[in-house]
This record gives sequence, C-alpha cells and structure tokens, in this order.
Amino acid sequence: MQRKISLLFVLVMVMSLVLSACSTPTTQAPAVATVVTTVEVTRVVAGTPETIVITATPAPTEPPTPTSMPAGSVQVNGAGATFPLPVYTEWIYAYQYIDPSVTLNYQGIGSGGGKKGIIDNTIDFAGSDSVLKDEEYTSGGDLQMYPMLAGAVVPIYNVDGITKTVTLDGATLAGIYDATITKWNDPAIVALNPGLNFPDASITAVHRSDGSGTTEIFTNALASFSQQWKDSVGAGSSVEWPVDKAGNGIGGKGNQGVAAAVQNTPNSIGYVELSYAIANKIAYTDMINKSGNKVTANADSLASAMNDFATTFTDKLTNKIVDGPGAASWPIAGYTYIILRTTSMPDCVKAQKIVEYLKWALTDAGAAKRAADLGYSVLPDAVRTQVLAKLGEVTCNGAPVVTP
Amino acid sequence: MIDNMAKQNHIIANRRPPSRWATRLRLAFHYGDRPWNALTISMAVLTILVMLAIGVLLWRESAGSRSAFGLNFLKPTTDASWNPVSGEFQAWPFIYGTLVTSLFSLVLAVPLSLGVAIFLAELCPEWLRLPLGGMFELLAAIPSVIYGLWGIFVFLPKVVDPVGRFLDTTLGNVPVLSLFFHGPIPASGASLLAAAFILSIMITPTITAITRDVFLAIPVSQREASLALGSTRWETIWKVLIPYGLSGILGAVILGLGRALGETMAVTMVVGNSIGGSLSLLRPGYTMSSIIANEFAEAVSPLHTQALIEVGLILFIITLLLNILARLLVWRVGRGNVQGARA
Repeated sequence: MQRKISLLFVLVMVMSLVLSACSTPTTQAPAVATVVTTVEVTRVVAGTPETIVITATPAPTEPPTPTSMPAGSVQVNGAGATFPLPVYTEWIYAYQYIDPSVTLNYQGIGSGGGKKGIIDNTIDFAGSDSVLKDEEYTSGGDLQMYPMLAGAVVPIYNVDGITKTVTLDGATLAGIYDATITKWNDPAIVALNPGLNFPDASITAVHRSDGSGTTEIFTNALASFSQQWKDSVGAGSSVEWPVDKAGNGIGGKGNQGVAAAVQNTPNSIGYVELSYAIANKIAYTDMINKSGNKVTANADSLASAMNDFATTFTDKLTNKIVDGPGAASWPIAGYTYIILRTTSMPDCVKAQKIVEYLKWALTDAGAAKRAADLGYSVLPDAVRTQVLAKLGEVTCNGAPVVTP
Repeated sequence: MIDNMAKQNHIIANRRPPSRWATRLRLAFHYGDRPWNALTISMAVLTILVMLAIGVLLWRESAGSRSAFGLNFLKPTTDASWNPVSGEFQAWPFIYGTLVTSLFSLVLAVPLSLGVAIFLAELCPEWLRLPLGGMFELLAAIPSVIYGLWGIFVFLPKVVDPVGRFLDTTLGNVPVLSLFFHGPIPASGASLLAAAFILSIMITPTITAITRDVFLAIPVSQREASLALGSTRWETIWKVLIPYGLSGILGAVILGLGRALGETMAVTMVVGNSIGGSLSLLRPGYTMSSIIANEFAEAVSPLHTQALIEVGLILFIITLLLNILARLLVWRVGRGNVQGARA
C-alpha cells in the first residue's frame, strides 16, 4: 500500500516537473523582466488598466508628454512585409533619438503573416504589400491601410555581348514572361535597342520563387501592360508563370536568389527591387513608359508615378501605381502599406506613440532621405495629405489619439 | 544489485524514526528505478503526443483545401496547375520532385557511404582513421544554407552543368531513360539533378558515420572466423560483415532518406523552383518543402494557405509511411539474420 502511494506521489512529482519545464519559456519570462527592470517600466509595458493607475501615468484619454516617460517604456510590435524592411529598420533606428520612450520593433515575416497578426490582434501594426480583402476588413473589425512608401521593381539582365543599358517596353516584358518572346534577337527587343547586337539565344526568365510583394508589383505591371497576361495569369504575390510551363523559367529565392540566377545564367532576365539592384550595383533596364518616354528607375520617376494616381485614392487609401501616364513615370512600382486598428487599440499610450511615429516617418526630411538612399520613395504631397488626414481619424476609447 | 543490498543494509542499520512523509519520499527516491521509469515513460509519451498534435493540426488546418480539391490534389499529371491567383492547386509536381530527388540522392549516396564506411572501419590505417572520420562528420555540421550558396556559385556551374550535358547526350537518347535524362539542362545548372547531388553530399556523412559504427560493432571473431576459413578480405567484407550488419546499415540509409525528404533550404536554392511538368531530372523542378518555405509567408488567400498545409500533410504522411516501411524492412532483415545464425 505504502509503495503504491509513494509511486503515485513520485509520478505526480515527475509530471509536474515535466510540465513546468515545458511551460517555463512562456510563463516565466515576464517574471524575469520584473526583476531586472523597474516596477514602473514593466507595468506600463504590460499596459493593463489597473497598473497604469498605480503608476503615475495619466489616464488613458489624456496623452502624456513624451518627456515624462522613461526610455523604452512603450513597446510597440509590428510585423509584416519584407519589401519595406530596410527602410523600416533605418527609420526605427533613427526614431530612437526622436522619442526614446518608445521601443519599436518590426519583424519581416511576410505580408500574409502581418495581416494575420493584425486581424488576430497579436501585433500593434502590420506592414503589407498586398491590400486587404473586403472580408478581411470586416473580420479585423476596424482596419485601415496607410500607404507609407513606394518602391520600384526593375528588370535585370545578363546577355552575352551586351554591355550597354538595355531598354524594354511593357508589351515586350510581358511577352518574355508569358513565353511569346523567346529569343534575345526577337524583332521587338531589337527594335527597342538600336545599335545593340543581341545573340540568337533563348531567354531564360527568372522569377521569385517565394511569395513576395515584389512579384505582386511586377505582375500588376505586366497585367496592366498586356491584356493577355491579365486574362491568363493575373497578378499576385505568387502566380503560375507561363514561362515555367514553357520550360524556360527558373525561380530564385529572394532578391539575392533571382540576382544569383541571372548572374549565373547567360542570356537571362529577372526582376528585383530597385533598392537591391542599387545596393549590389546590378545593371537594370530602362523602360519605355505609357507616354512613350524612356525612363530610368529612381526616386523622381517613382514620385511621378505616385503623382499620376494621387487623385484616384478610394476611402481605403489603397491604390495601384503601375503603368502611369505621366511623362517621367516609372511603370513598375507599388505602394507598401501599414495597417492599423483605427478605433479599437487597447492601449491609448501605445496608439499615440504609433501614430506619432508614422507621422514622423511621413513628414520628416531625414526619414525621406533615408528612404531615397535605399531606392524607395516617400509619398509626394498630394498623397501625403490624404494619408495624414486619415491618420488623424484614429481614435482610442472614442477620443482622437493625436490632435490634428 | 550487490550495491543496492549494501545500501539497504546501511539504511536498516541507521534507522531512526523519521516522519512518515520523509520516509516515503526517501524510499521513493532512494531506489531510482521507479522515478526514472516514470520520467522516461513520460518523455516517450510526450514525443508521441507532439507527433499526434502535428498530424491533427495539419489535418484540421487543411480541411478547406481537402474538401475543395479532393483526390485531384494528388493526381499524377504533367499538366498540374498551382495557381494562387485563380485558386487552383495540385501538388503532384512537388510530390514528384521530393521523391525523385530523395531517391536519386540515395542511389548516389549509399554506395559512396558504404565505401567510405568500409574503408574507415576495415581498411584504413590506424593513424588516418580519426582525422578522416572527423572530417567526414564535419560535413554533417555544415549548415544547409552554406551548401545552397556553394551550390549556386560553385557546384552548379562547375559540376552539375557539365554532368547534366553529358547525361543529356548519353542517357538522353536511351528509350526509357530519356524520360528522366532529356535536357537541355538550364545554363545555371538549377535542376532536380542539382538538388539530388547536393542532397547526396548532405546525407553521405550521416549514412557513413552510422554504417562505420555498425562495422566497428561487429565482433572481431566474425572476421577471424571468415579469414580462418580462407576467405579473402573482399569476401569477408562482402559475404560476412555486410550481411551481419545489414539491419544497421538499412537503419542508416533510412535516416539519410529522412533527411533528404525534409531538407528545405539547400534544395530550394538549387532546384530551380519551377513547375514545368517535365519528368526529367535535368529540368528545373520543385519539392514539397521548397514550396512551403517559398510561399507560406506571403500566402494571403485562405485557400492558398490551406493548400500549402495540405502539402505539408502529404510530406508528413510520406515520411511516416517510408519510415514505417523501412522499419518493417529492418525487422525482417534482423529476424532473417538471427535465423541464419541459428541454422
């Protein structure tokens, strides 16, 4: 009898040991944080109403002044698209010096993950290259998208004997990727590049293998260039590539995968973000845009593309900026967005910090320069005013978060 | 045993009237068998529970995709469609890619590993055994992304591309084999063949290390008996040692196959990631783990996510089935061995 009881006792002990070992990482972590930081700091981080009352932080509806808060006392977590990650990382680094009280954190987990996070309310803001669907707006309650940046996508190439910049137009690019143009010495390519001597070699078209905002922008552009592409393929973060079916397509993982495949494959073409091409000094093509001008991808041609569509924003503030009619517009471009909960953010201090940060990012000259250096472009005035107005409508507990 | 009895005597000799609970606690912990049993059983149960939880999750989360596509999802066809825009998904190209790269990598890796293991265990001079074995095991420690990068920049253009061209001109003209070896191989070398090559390099150290240990565990008496009967070294290795260690060697091969089936990063970097519909090893392809790694993060439509999870489910089931099959094989071989020894 006694043995039985002792055995039972030991079993219980062991099981509880195992269980506690399993749950340690999640449940114990906050307790450790309490030990190392001051009580006040952790309570604000936790953001529960009663602890806010305990500390000297003002009531949620009265926003505190930034100077009154200790450094790093507000923890804001964002996640989502990797397309704008280089810029967001720079901005967050710079913003530490503007408002030390807020610690921003952005993880590039992909647009899909970002949207899921904001809908499930596991993150404070999301980054996304693709727009929310109608049912996602409603399932998330009160979501709103705000354009933050525009980025360009550029075709890169590796053609035997070609050292000068190649020029393409939309129809040709779409033709290459739907495998109707299969040779570099195709009349369409030759006609666009007088003076260049193209080889009689078949074109290997490289695309992103991973789902990506870059692909979404690129396929949006192709769909705008070519009705046939729009009907047969469409646009999205990953698509079914006709050139794969034809046997001349290769997928590369990430910008670096595409760039490596293009560099290692003679007579190939691919597409990467402008920022990646700039950082790695990869040659990219010029494009003939809708108005028939030859343009190069840069901050100016991006801004021109944004201005082309500045008046066509819907209430959801989402828009495409591909194939713009402006004389200087780069045709393969797209916005990347931030998604916020507009009325139901649980922590008003945090809500205020997020909106303040976004306003800074949209308006600060230094922030704009950082973006431009990386090959992105911040919004032109015509678009920015609309985004700022929409940001001013964010409320918490029914009161506006920031006075306009 | 003797030690235990001595301890027991010691306790009896020093018995004082301790509290009831203290006695029970001490009794329970003094003889470590029962707590130890309980601990190991709970660990084993935990493993099974995790396994089941993964299976159940994959099954449940792929419900939408399973009901939308049914068996059509698995249909072997060269015209499979994987179209996230229109929401049509068929997994055959990935299943084919995973199976063909894994199996072909085994075809390459097993003879190589067996040779290396035999050399290390039987023929290698003593002074060379440790450094050579260590270097081989080091191969297993290289992260797969390094294999991928090395593959893209060195191995594919320098090795796979010429080999692919050679295979295309030779086997590409043989009637049945041409189905699997017709080119042209892409100039970058990115192809199913490249993935199989990289995989074979990655699984060789695993198979080698275990096979070597199997050989080293074979009693010296077996070798001596065989040599005493007048066998040559070759006959001793081929007719005595390999049959003796066969179940262990098969176990090693299974471990290698498991790694090949699940390997993601290196394969994704070299396989070409293209759904072409060709059966040829020389063409770019796709594997199950690659499509999941590639598209899961940015899969925005629920159906797309579910289809990817269903691919994960299939990979899970295939891995499970192959492991069970292989386990049965090992048992069969092991039993046969014992009977053979008795006879």
